[in-house]
Amino acid sequence: MPPQSDHCRWRLRPDVVATVLNDGAVILDLRTKFFFSANPTAWSILQMFETGATPAEVLELGQKWGANGDTPAINRLIEQIIAEGLVEPVEAPAGAALAIPMIAWVAPELCKHHEPLQRIMVSAFDPGMPLAE
Amino acid sequence: MTRTALAPTPVEAVYACGPVRLAVVFDDANWRDALHGLLSQYDAPWPTPEVVVSVAIERATAPSENREPAGAYLRSYRLRVDRHGSRLLSRSRVGVWMEFDLAGRTARITVPFHSDWPELVEEVEQQLVLLLARSWSQAGWTPLHAASLIPPGEKRCVLLCAPSGTGKTTLTTAFLRRGWRTLGDDKTLLRAEAEGVVAGALAQRFHLHPSASRWFPEAGNLARFPPYSRWTDKRIVRIADVWSDRLLERASPAGLLHVERVESGMSFEPLDRLKTLNTLLRQVAIPTDPEHARPLVSCIAQTAAKLNSARLNIGHEAFTDPATMERLDECLRSLLP
Repeated sequence: MPPQSDHCRWRLRPDVVATVLNDGAVILDLRTKFFFSANPTAWSILQMFETGATPAEVLELGQKWGANGDTPAINRLIEQIIAEGLVEPVEAPAGAALAIPMIAWVAPELCKHHEPLQRIMVSAFDPGMPLAE
Repeated sequence: MTRTALAPTPVEAVYACGPVRLAVVFDDANWRDALHGLLSQYDAPWPTPEVVVSVAIERATAPSENREPAGAYLRSYRLRVDRHGSRLLSRSRVGVWMEFDLAGRTARITVPFHSDWPELVEEVEQQLVLLLARSWSQAGWTPLHAASLIPPGEKRCVLLCAPSGTGKTTLTTAFLRRGWRTLGDDKTLLRAEAEGVVAGALAQRFHLHPSASRWFPEAGNLARFPPYSRWTDKRIVRIADVWSDRLLERASPAGLLHVERVESGMSFEPLDRLKTLNTLLRQVAIPTDPEHARPLVSCIAQTAAKLNSARLNIGHEAFTDPATMERLDECLRSLLP
């Protein structure tokens, strides 16, 4: 079964920023300062949440991408996205869906780096902690 | 760097800071003298200023508006910064305020009456660093706290990332002696262009403590160089004055070295993609505002995607051992295949 309700609509939080690369995307949550590396499949699924999507809609699109045997992988990713707080529930009805290009299906992977970036900087140029000299 | 005294009172000066030209009006000459070290350090040649910012620094009581910044935009050890539309509002620990109109490119720094002069200077400096970092970003450049090394005959560089005090400058000079070149100290600007990411020089000088003379005998007694500021013993050493023909103004980042200091010896291990990204993202002060964070994250992610990376654990005395340096030279070149 998909996580949460099939029909609950979720949208990427506005303070989650993404940068698209040739082989996926980098996602930074500006609230928690954790960052993630998404492979092309995970990024395609995340893109669905940019305008808002339900788990059922994500699964449906996954089937079109050829994810027939990989429904559990999609569900795990949706669970991860919700658990990490990258998306928030929205009341709005379905809007115009983004035109997400067809992808060659591989299992979605969203790797979270174990340590958040600095929340308090040394300065506006040098965020790092200096060594005691 | 160019600095032109225009009038005695109030004291005005213009500083070329890479792609940003800063026109400053100081309340008095003491402020100009105290801040000159910071503002004059960005001495790398730059074709034309892309952004001009005017800033007034004046003694006054705190602004009447009672909106203490909470640090929602950015927090540092000394500053709490909020964004209100096109304005940044920043307050320091002892009450130095800066209001920066991003659209109008004007800023006002208000300094309270306070007995601790060095503390005030430090906090005004931090406000100016914030102003410059944001202005460089507005000009399309990402400020990166990293040094750089370029092998002879190359235009590709290895970025050196490490916390302050870890030995980036020592490592850089050790390689300058071997014919490598650099963009400057550990302040670098990055920009994603159509042909790839470009790294630009900001400051072509080192700030060295006189005790570092033992590492750089060719520099002679470092105490003879002018002091960086009255608050530190560090001296301003222009790289070209000691190591001639070792400066470049632009390079293409192709390698990354995450430097860690250990007691002795040397080890070198490759970094995977996520660790490379982690290392690079930690060298940029990323505000929590999505509009301002997005271009910085994008530039860093594009840069990281093209880098061959490694972690270097290096002991204090490694730079004096020719065999270790030879091995290290090979390791660095392996990042630029």
